Amino acid sequence: MVLIITLYFYITKISKVCVGEMVSVKVLLFAIFREKYGIKETELEFDGTLNGFLKALGEKISPKLVEDIYDPESKYIKNNLIVMVNGRNVKDIKGELKFNNGDTVAIFPPVAGG
Amino acid sequence: MPGGYVGKIGVIDLTEGSIRIEETSEILGKKYLGGKGYALALLYEHAKDLEEKGKALSDLNPLGPDNAIVFATGPATGVPGFPSPGRYHVMALRSPLTGSIGSANSGGEWGPFLKFAGFDMLFIKGAADSPVYISVVDGCIEICDASDYWGKNVFDTDDLLKKEVGGKNVSVACIGPAGENLVPMANIVNDKHRAAGRTGLGAVMGSKFLKAIVVSGSESVPVADMEKFREASREALEKERKNSVTAEGLPTYGTAILINVLNNAGALPFKNWQSGYNPEADKISGETLTKNYLVKKRPCWGCNIACGRVSSVKTGPYQILLTEGPEYESIWALGNTTGVMDLEAITKANHLCNEFGLDPISTGSTIAAAMELRQRGLIKDEYLHGMDLSFGNAATLVESIWRIAYKTGFGKYMALGSKRLCEIFGAPELSMSVKGLEMPAYDPRGVKGMGLNYATSNRGGCHVTGYTVSPEILGIPTKIDPLTIEGKAQWVKTFQDFACVVNSTVNCLFTTFALSVADYANLLSAVTGWNLTEEEIMRIGERIYNLERLIMSKFGFTDKDDTLPPRLTSEPMPEGPAKGQVVELEQMKKEYYRLRGWVNGIPTPEKLKELEIEL
Ligand code: SF4
Repeated sequence: MVLIITLYFYITKISKVCVGEMVSVKVLLFAIFREKYGIKETELEFDGTLNGFLKALGEKISPKLVEDIYDPESKYIKNNLIVMVNGRNVKDIKGELKFNNGDTVAIFPPVAGG
Repeated sequence: MPGGYVGKIGVIDLTEGSIRIEETSEILGKKYLGGKGYALALLYEHAKDLEEKGKALSDLNPLGPDNAIVFATGPATGVPGFPSPGRYHVMALRSPLTGSIGSANSGGEWGPFLKFAGFDMLFIKGAADSPVYISVVDGCIEICDASDYWGKNVFDTDDLLKKEVGGKNVSVACIGPAGENLVPMANIVNDKHRAAGRTGLGAVMGSKFLKAIVVSGSESVPVADMEKFREASREALEKERKNSVTAEGLPTYGTAILINVLNNAGALPFKNWQSGYNPEADKISGETLTKNYLVKKRPCWGCNIACGRVSSVKTGPYQILLTEGPEYESIWALGNTTGVMDLEAITKANHLCNEFGLDPISTGSTIAAAMELRQRGLIKDEYLHGMDLSFGNAATLVESIWRIAYKTGFGKYMALGSKRLCEIFGAPELSMSVKGLEMPAYDPRGVKGMGLNYATSNRGGCHVTGYTVSPEILGIPTKIDPLTIEGKAQWVKTFQDFACVVNSTVNCLFTTFALSVADYANLLSAVTGWNLTEEEIMRIGERIYNLERLIMSKFGFTDKDDTLPPRLTSEPMPEGPAKGQVVELEQMKKEYYRLRGWVNGIPTPEKLKELEIEL
């Protein structure tokens, strides 16, 4: 039986993630990450959790990328990075970070301009 | 004078052909630092003089001899070891594009070299009756005949004048054909590719028949407390070296790295702001620029960050073997908002903007406005003489630059700027400008604080007046949600005041990604010998912003002008991450005025007294 464990609210949509169900998300790498790992865009399949995302990212691209973006102390995405899920910075997303089928995850190193 | 200043201001009246050398005032330095703040204080005195002579400021012609223009450095400019000390600020009492204060900032070498030539600032009024240039060399100022240079582009003028004047540390700030032709989007270009870009200051120079200012000299800038300064400098530069933005992001990719960031956040204005998301933005991104066209980095004088780009388009119709830029704003204005997804054409268009002396932000935005007017059938064929004014047409983009500079063909309409263009063709709401100044590359429907900043920015639609993109999108110094309005008024006010400090210091705003108000207080105290606290620094910033507001109010500006194009407040973002969003401007404005102590968008007498602004 599939058990609904969370309802996740985005600005324009309400989605759900179910235990045992896999989600597929598009991952975009930018700036130095794009250069370092030689990848612009890829698809990941995982269980919709942050841990699942990181595991799939490490396997598909490189464990080093996981080290680059994940802070084991805070157990979250590193504070100085710009990581967006469907254009929303993960730091602006309230509650537990969950991924939904069809999401786009954009990963930037610390950058600025003007 | 204390450290940080070379102690002299050149006062030049081009009508009379007279030159006076005055002492830089320690009193004004303490109140306004230098750069933008000190220049405003001088312009305010000039405005009062005009009023005393019975001239109403509301009637002041920005292109008439009564307008004045100030080239100003600050206590940081030209001081080795001060973070990014290679910039200067230009202020005019009135901008021909907006009718408000004229204000722009530039890097390169010109600012430090003015100081090495022996001057903190140049105050210029009146108008010559034939072309002149001003030579400032080793403590001497001379007004020279520029007949041979009038009509020449920026690059030729720069080369020829450098050769003619010669000397050590020589640098030229000049106008191109756009400034000569009084195009209100004309800029002042120094060192060929660095520009005081916004508010049409090139046209102010053009109206005075002033082609260029050449500076050269070898004076050094005194520092009041060298030991303290070395320590403050070491600390600040160490912070920059440890900061991933100033140590890696900006040097590696330049400012254009923001194209993908803002596009992914759904706040990169596309096709004259009809959307905030461009599915093809990566084609014109900083990553693409770096990979395919970057030759090397080029820092402004004394800067460790080095965000400047030297690029090359090696082949093809838009070949340009060596140029500088394009920067984030120019790529956006010439590319994203015109729908031109060809980075080679954008690079060429940017090069031509520098060659002819045009502000790429206002120029690109005006071309985009024309494209939307055409899209809606509001510009008829007979105006275009065969030019295809459709979004995305790279050839039209490049052609439009010289047409605007020379006011020829449809260029004579676009040369008016987007506000007047859209008024003429019956759709004023399509000008994406505030107070007549075209807004830059952030759609505030996806970055709400920027909406308030654009609306209340004294010089009009400007990002650097109060760059809340920093906390809202980049998470610097801390991350705040770009789609909410709570607390944004305070952020905008603080950023606007601090930007005044930086533009009066004068160094580069990019240092603030790594340095705090406390760092500025330390550095400035050490250089000048004054004991400047963080509170005093922010009070100086607030004083400058209020003085600027006060002067604008004399031209008739009120809260009614603190507004946004209706598209941003009533047309919900059609797609992307900010879909459905509009800017709730009035709510934010109310809070902002309360924090500022302004009534009807104007500082009250009590506020002015509190800030020690003399009426
Ligand atoms: S950071 Fe860039 S714009 Fe600022 S002073 Fe340095 S090179 Fe110039």
